[in-house]
Amino acid sequence: MKRKVGAMEKVEADVAALRWKLKRDPQSYRDDFSNQYQQYETLRDLFLQDPGQTDSGVVALKDLIDFLSHTVDLYPEMTSTFHTELADMLLQHHDVLEYDLRDKIVGSLCLLKTKGVIDSITLLNTLFPILISTPSKSLRQLLFTKTLSVLRAENAKATNHKLNRTMQAVLFNLIESDSVSPQGIWAVKITREMWKRQIWSDARAVEVMRMAALSENEKVLTGGVRFFLGGDKEREEAAEESSDDDNDVDMARLRHQAGINKKTKKKARDLKNAHVSLKKKEKKKNAPHPLNFSALHLLHDPQGFAETIFSKHVQNSKNKLAHESKLLVLQLVSRLVGLHKLTVLSLYSYFLKHLTPRQASVTSYLACLAQATHDYVPPDVLEPLVQKIANEFVSEASASEVAAAGLNAIREICARQPLAMTDTLLQDLVMYRKSKDKGTMMAAKGLLSLYREVGADLLKKRDRGKDAAMGIRAGTIKDRRYGEEAVGEIEGIELLEKWKEEERRKKLEAAGLDPDADNGDAGLDNDEEDWKKWDVESDGDSDDSGGWINVESDGEDIQISDSEDEKDKKDKRPAKKAKLSSATPTPAPADNKETSKSVEPEAAKTLSKLLTTTILTPADLKQLQALRATTAIKSSLPSHKRAQLLAARHVDEAITAETIELAASIGKKNTKEEKVAMAKADRETNHQSTTAMRKEKKESEGKSTTNKEKARKKNFLMTLGKAKIKNKRSLGDVKRTLLGHIERKKRGGKRGNKGN
Amino acid sequence: MTSSSKKKQEKKKKDFQKPKLKVGKAKPKAASSTSTSFKAKSIALKQQALSTSAPTLEAQCAHHLGLLNHKADTQRKESLAFLTSVITSHPPTAPLPQPSSVIIPVAQRLILDGSNSVRQQLLKLLQSLPPGDIASHADQLLLHTRAAMTHLASEIRVFGLEVLEWLVGIAGVEVVSCAGGWVKMLKCFLSLLSWQSEASGKWSTAKSYGKSDSKIQVKQMNALTSFLRTGLYHAQAMAVVASESNFPLWQTDHHVLSERSNVYAHLNLFGATRDEEAEMYEDREDRQRVFHDRAEAAIVAGLEHATKGGGELGRASAQLRKVVKEGMADFYREEVAP
Repeated sequence: MKRKVGAMEKVEADVAALRWKLKRDPQSYRDDFSNQYQQYETLRDLFLQDPGQTDSGVVALKDLIDFLSHTVDLYPEMTSTFHTELADMLLQHHDVLEYDLRDKIVGSLCLLKTKGVIDSITLLNTLFPILISTPSKSLRQLLFTKTLSVLRAENAKATNHKLNRTMQAVLFNLIESDSVSPQGIWAVKITREMWKRQIWSDARAVEVMRMAALSENEKVLTGGVRFFLGGDKEREEAAEESSDDDNDVDMARLRHQAGINKKTKKKARDLKNAHVSLKKKEKKKNAPHPLNFSALHLLHDPQGFAETIFSKHVQNSKNKLAHESKLLVLQLVSRLVGLHKLTVLSLYSYFLKHLTPRQASVTSYLACLAQATHDYVPPDVLEPLVQKIANEFVSEASASEVAAAGLNAIREICARQPLAMTDTLLQDLVMYRKSKDKGTMMAAKGLLSLYREVGADLLKKRDRGKDAAMGIRAGTIKDRRYGEEAVGEIEGIELLEKWKEEERRKKLEAAGLDPDADNGDAGLDNDEEDWKKWDVESDGDSDDSGGWINVESDGEDIQISDSEDEKDKKDKRPAKKAKLSSATPTPAPADNKETSKSVEPEAAKTLSKLLTTTILTPADLKQLQALRATTAIKSSLPSHKRAQLLAARHVDEAITAETIELAASIGKKNTKEEKVAMAKADRETNHQSTTAMRKEKKESEGKSTTNKEKARKKNFLMTLGKAKIKNKRSLGDVKRTLLGHIERKKRGGKRGNKGN
Repeated sequence: MTSSSKKKQEKKKKDFQKPKLKVGKAKPKAASSTSTSFKAKSIALKQQALSTSAPTLEAQCAHHLGLLNHKADTQRKESLAFLTSVITSHPPTAPLPQPSSVIIPVAQRLILDGSNSVRQQLLKLLQSLPPGDIASHADQLLLHTRAAMTHLASEIRVFGLEVLEWLVGIAGVEVVSCAGGWVKMLKCFLSLLSWQSEASGKWSTAKSYGKSDSKIQVKQMNALTSFLRTGLYHAQAMAVVASESNFPLWQTDHHVLSERSNVYAHLNLFGATRDEEAEMYEDREDRQRVFHDRAEAAIVAGLEHATKGGGELGRASAQLRKVVKEGMADFYREEVAP
């Protein structure tokens, strides 16, 4: 006969049950734990004698490790060596271990870190060496995700600088120690991921990538280069994505459902959690955007980096890089040169060799060249390049796309360094605006309009256009020389100055004073008022300022101390915080009026003074904007629009081959498929009636049906009774109801409101 | 007819429809019948014996050794039974069809097997093997035995004790003197009997999870008794060697080749460094010293408690006490200044 077994005996080999009991009452089950620990030690001894062996038996080593890693934190004094044993097991035998056991050990180590038994640095020191050395793909994947999650978790609440620094040092050393091995790819991967998540955004991470870009191994080097070319864009996109996906929770809906559905503690808790998370997200949204520098800006010594990487990977004929990776490196170099305005002269002679239409992906080379051009590149270096592009690409014999691409490339180069062009060449090229091909024509026109702005004197007289011709005649347009910098200014500041002067004169005239004479007292009043009108709202009709002050001439009158101002305004408003500059009034120079009317250079001088002597209040800035808007005639001009477009293009953005190829695509005719696709594009693919759409919308909003709909959908059997009654009425019944109706009407409704 | 009633009627029709049987026609198939026919261009036989003669005994044994990892416990048991019958029926002078050094590493893992019948059969197999071979694999077997003794399932724990008793009986000296064989076993016993008395702050010891009744405790104590007897008493083998003196050569046994394999195991030339627990204690005095340091106090204290219980437990504990007393009788500690 079979013996009956009790409930306890049945589950005896169940470590999960024991685990649960241990957590409830660690002290009572101490002996059981120690038994299990000994069991583990014995199994471990067995395992160490033959690591590849799969152990049979009811409770395997894997389960025991799982059990222990969940419970060791309850008995720290008994199990002090547990984590080192696990780490040793993994480090020494990871390549022969059974998959399950191996993954379990990795998971257990991570669990021990979460429980605080080991710290994150120890854990990463265990995981990382295996990550870079193991031949197993699945283990690498597992370790990579674990490493990333550890790094993320450690940086979640506050940045863990110590860990980050150690990890970055490890990655740096990994690449530096052996630049030939492909192991450095892990450093690249980890750094890129951390960069993308904005956990690492400092120069150290960039330094790791710089090391990677200088590596000998092609994989590592392209990884590093790709990071510099695309890492920041990826980071921005990731940030946008994370900010986009947070409007999933519909709080109103949740609250509504909570009101209708059965109320349980869990649902209440869920609602509360949703509320908290929503709050958190909103807070995050409103938080100031973290100021992140791009990787290219965080580089130390970009000049040295650009030179080394160019000579090492591009110029060096010994290395056997694939054409694509070489092109990537070239892109990075030209990007660095353009962004930091570096001087790498060998780069341009390198280009000279490759600028032929038969060169593979020549548009990329053209784009790189344009990118590598800036206004400190000597024109005599660029001149032969431009000449070569013109000779090779732009001719009647060459295909229209080639000519368009060449012209476009020349335009891009010359937009950055206009001095690279000679007049004969330019006049030749401009002739192509009469070309029959649309792309070539547009490209040539682009070049023409560019030179109308930046170097009209190179053009023939009849090509110069009205503005440029008049400017040259008046002498306002001067050709800029090599290395010359434009004077920085605020657009429309002269308008503001003029307006201020007019206001002041008006005020003085209203006060009965001579507007041209010196009058310090009136100025003082004006100024006091002006400071009061710090904000835009305060100004009414008398928004004026007390003119500008010549600091140099009346230096002794300046009062910088706050207390003086305080004294002056004691009876007036409370002091503003932004009392930085002295507002001591001084008479405007008498010749002010004349200067504004006189020749231009002097005017330029005075406007610079306005900026140096006064602080523009928000009210001033608003006025400035208004003035700018009123004189908007200029802004409607195409040249201005183009300038704005150019300004809108971010400096960090690269010129790609598409920019160069764009011109050629203008004149191209669409194929039939493309036309069909375009015609279909704005139409809906699946037709739906308006009612259906409304219904769908309503359902998606979680609204109920109308009474009408309910009536329509009502079960037929339910309506039967009523219909039967209606049909079977006798004449008498009908009469009675009709009479009743009349009676009710007389009474004024069922309840009757006639009598009372 | 309304749509809903129509639906209902249709539904009604579908359920429990009686198939009509007609004379002369094939019987309609049931709805639940599954076609088991299949088509294949060729049939591949996984194993096909092409030899006309029956496989040799060696090959059969190798095959059954491979089957010891089989997932079905009946198969494992049968393979063990086959091996046992082959070994027992074999003439003792001729070599075994498969050497013990092949059989033991494969078979010893089954000590932890989940099925009781397999385990019992395994013990029979082990008992049928020549004792000399067992002695050279004692350390391996002891490891598995210890794993069984601390196992979560009480059946396996009891079986572990059985194996230990057998092992101590057949190769006692090797068991107590192998690496980790002495200290780790003592520790294991103490923890099994919960005589560690470390958590002495407790008011009362709750009956622990999965703790067995006193029967198992008696068995454990008996096993401990025989284990200690082997470890702490003078070895008989030594006495035998000492008795026969061939006159001019006094210590011949030290000069002849050893019968044991791996004679220099105690030097630990190739393994990891051992700590005190994993060390080999080949001398009786060494064992006594370690026993005194680590276990004696706990055992004496535990025995006191157990003797009070009386009955079978009391008898076992009295036995144990006697062994401890006799074994430690000639122990005296030299006070060595550290």
